[in-house]
This record gives sequence, C-alpha cells and structure tokens, in this order.
Amino acid sequence: MAVSFDRERLGPLKDTVAVVGVGETDYGADYRGAGGKAMAKGEVRYDSYTLASRALKRALDDAGLKKDEIDGLCTGPTLSSERACELWGMNPRWSGSGDAAQCIIEAAMAINCGLCTTVALVYGNAQRSMDTAYGGSRVTGGGITSYFYYAPWGLTSQGALYALLFQRHKLLYGTTDEQLGAIAVAFRKHACMNPNAVMQKPITIEDYMKAPYVAEPLRLFDYCLINDGGVAIILRRADMAKDCRQTPVMVSGFGWSEENVDATQLRPRLKDFYHTAHREVAAQVYPMAGVGPKDIDVFATYDSFSVHLLASLEGFGFCKEGEGGPFVQNGRIEIGGELPCNTSGGMLSESYMQSWNHQPELVRQLRGGLGQRQVQGAEVAQYVHDVAGKCKSIIYTKGG
Amino acid sequence: MATPRPIRSMDPYAEQFWAYTQKKEFRLQKCCDCGKFRWPPGPTCDKCLSDEFEWAAMGGQGKVLSWTTFRRGYFPEYPAPHTVIVLELDEGPLFVAYPVDMEVADLREGMTLSLRWTDGQDKYGEYNLPVFGPVSS
Ligand SMILES: [Zn+2]
Repeated sequence: MAVSFDRERLGPLKDTVAVVGVGETDYGADYRGAGGKAMAKGEVRYDSYTLASRALKRALDDAGLKKDEIDGLCTGPTLSSERACELWGMNPRWSGSGDAAQCIIEAAMAINCGLCTTVALVYGNAQRSMDTAYGGSRVTGGGITSYFYYAPWGLTSQGALYALLFQRHKLLYGTTDEQLGAIAVAFRKHACMNPNAVMQKPITIEDYMKAPYVAEPLRLFDYCLINDGGVAIILRRADMAKDCRQTPVMVSGFGWSEENVDATQLRPRLKDFYHTAHREVAAQVYPMAGVGPKDIDVFATYDSFSVHLLASLEGFGFCKEGEGGPFVQNGRIEIGGELPCNTSGGMLSESYMQSWNHQPELVRQLRGGLGQRQVQGAEVAQYVHDVAGKCKSIIYTKGG
Repeated sequence: MATPRPIRSMDPYAEQFWAYTQKKEFRLQKCCDCGKFRWPPGPTCDKCLSDEFEWAAMGGQGKVLSWTTFRRGYFPEYPAPHTVIVLELDEGPLFVAYPVDMEVADLREGMTLSLRWTDGQDKYGEYNLPVFGPVSS
C-alpha cells in the first residue's frame, strides 16, 4: 500500500490552484483583552462563528473578492458547514471539512474536477472562551482511539502521549531536554517578531529548563497555547488568480498518508515515530512539486507540542533518524538559519489554531515584505501536518 | 470497597476483557484465523477481518518501551506525581499501565516487568486493574 507519486495523474495538478487570500483574527489582542490582561479560561468573549466570520471577511478583503464569488466552502472541525453557509449567506456548489491540509487537498481536487473555482477554507475556535479541556476528568469521550481509553490507569491528554514519544526518543538516541528546548526558544523568538502573536516575551534556554514539567519529560513551553481565534484561506483556480489583489501563491505539491494500525496501542508512535507515514508523504509531495528537502526555504510543522518538529524533520529527510536533537540547535531552525521553522511563532507561541495559522504565515513569507520576520529570498515553503499518524504535507511556491 | 478510578471505556468487547479481570485473568483477543493479537478489544481482526477470536491468556511479562510522569494533576484519583508506562508484551501487543513495587528512577528501557493486580471500581462496577512491577526472583 506504499504511496508513490502518480506522475501521470498528480503531476499535471502542480500549480493549478493558488492561494489568493488569507485572513486571521487578532490573536494577541484578543488574548490580552481590553485591559491588557490575559483572559481567564471560560471568560466568554466569543463563539467560534464570530472568530471564523471575522477571518473570512479579512481573507476576502485580502483577495479583493466578494463573498458571492465563493462557490466552494471547507470548514474546520468546530464549525457546522450548514450553519456557516446560512450565517454567511452562501449556497456553495461543493463543500468539505477537516484540518487545514486536508481541506487544501480536498479543495484542490474539487477545483480541478470542475466542481467549483473559488473555495473559502474557514476555521474558528473559541477554545479559551469555552474552556475546552484536552485531558483529565472533564474529557468524557473521543472514542476508543483517544487517550480517554487509558483513563483507568491515569493516562490522559495528548501532551502525555507526546511525552511518551519524546521519552522514547531520549532512550533510543540520547536526545536531551536542552535540544528539545531549542525548539520552544526559537518559536518564541519568532513570535516576538510577529505583532499578532499571543506571546511577546522572549524566553531563554534557562527559562525553558526552569519551567515546570507538565507530563515529564515535556515542560510548560513544550505545550501549545489555548487561545481564541479564526483563520480563513481563499483558494482559486490558478488561471483566475490574476484577477485578485495579491500575488498568488501556488499549491505546488501535496501528499497524504495515514498510520492507524495499532494506533491506540501507541505502536506507530513509539516504535516508528510515524516515520512510515512521513516517508510516504515525502515520496509524493516532493516529486509532485519538483523539489526536495534541500530546496525548502521556510518550513512549518503542526506543533501542538515541540517534539512534533523532531519527528517530522527526521521523517521527511531533513536529517537522519535520531539526529533531530542536534539538528534543531545553534539557530538552524531560526529566521536567518538554514531552515527557518514555524516563523509566526507557531502554535507554541503565536496561536493554537490546530494547523490553520501555519498556512497564512507560509503564504505571507512567499509574498514577502514581513520586515524582520521575513525569510530572505523565500520561494518554496512546506507545511507538514503530523497529528497522531494522520500525515499530510503541502508545498507552496511563489507565483508569478 | 474497591479503589475508585477514572471511568473505563465500555463496549461489548471491553466488557469481556474486564470480566476476566474479576478472576485476575489477563486475556487479550487472538484471531482464530491468522493469530494476530489485538488491543483494545474489538469485533474484527485488523489483519484479516475475521470475527472469530479467542480470549488468549497472556504470560504477563513485557519490556518497558517508554514512560511519562504527570507533574500536574489531571484526575482526583491520580494526584501528581503519577507515572504511566508503556510495555511491549512478550506476545507482541503494546500495553499501557503504571509501575508498582518499584521506584520510577529505576525504570530502564527494555527492562522486563511482570503483571500485578490492583483493585478498581467505576460506574460499571468493580474490577481488577492490570499493572506491572519487577519480576520476582
Ligand atoms: Zn486475523
């Protein structure tokens, strides 16, 4: 079942769809609130539709499109497509749902099949307002494949599952806490160059090491934020993209592979670090885009926990298996380094938008003009979605 | 009264697993057609889709793959610090449990641990929880 690149069918889809608009809410300002004080969990300011609507309006304005030019809609998991369409007065010819990478791949297929020409991908999550729980006794379900299954033994939370992964990495390869800490420190440095990021105070490796453990060996700064926000992305058939306000960014490659066998047992997580799925996605996304890891100017990975980056860098061939620890040190993953990663600050320090906020950041890096945060000469950007073995990747390139 | 624990996920197959624990029997489903063990319990063999299975008795030994220590309390029943381990059972499946009769500092990658039982209860009733400790000499 190994994924290989279908040159005949996927090859022609390269650059057929462009990102023409992106919009996000004011993560930092919303988090800090009017008084400049961080909002408490459960202090209701928004619902998910408020945030999604605001992001959609901004993405349309960014693209210079009217809402009636949207003929396809993809919604993130917190939104009902039916309610979103009613709220926004849309009668799309096609709709889909999922995480950001899944929606981009689905929308690219729908556009290429002629089902629609211009798709809005919209996400909103009022998780701080709603005090969403990601572990413990307030989580009452999630199905057999969730950490919920292990509650009788006291195992709970995605964070603990990634702590088990990092502990295994430490045991096998001797990876150190200081090496992992370089990731949180780099992403925070990036957030401090991003006025829209929630976190604006730099941290040092000493701050990282002094911070309390949550699920050891993961510490506070290895965990993503819990904040409110919304993201929207407008994808359009490439030949129609020139009508839009911004320089288009092309969707040049995509790949998808899942590793679900014995997943609740944690086998792919602890015995493979999900590398089988990484390798299969790499075998599709790179040849489709006509680039390799060495050509990537800006990289972003799903980072609900810092350790995602180690696994994806190794799995996609940026370094050898087990060498992620030394790889992320000495500024290599920082802006100005060899492979700038999660340049917005990511989900650790910009905003926890469950993969959605990475897409506008990569698009903006390719458009250029981000000031001190700009990766100089950025032409090829890669997003890796690596969530519990559901792996996807998108490669974006600068359009003409 | 048995020790209260966070609630189990229950379905017709999990029910059978936990029923065996009342007799302190540690049994996992084994496919009658291809022999693959499965965990968590379920209706079908993921390797061959057969629905014929037996509840095979496990030897009760496994090697430590990884562990994590909760430094923040998530369940009132498990105040921090609480350590959870993942073992690779001799029969093949990986199994989540927690270590007993040993210090967390003495955990090592690949060390063999063996089955112990501790009591538990939730809204589905009383049961015994499989946990793991040092191999007795
Ligand atoms: Zn079978």
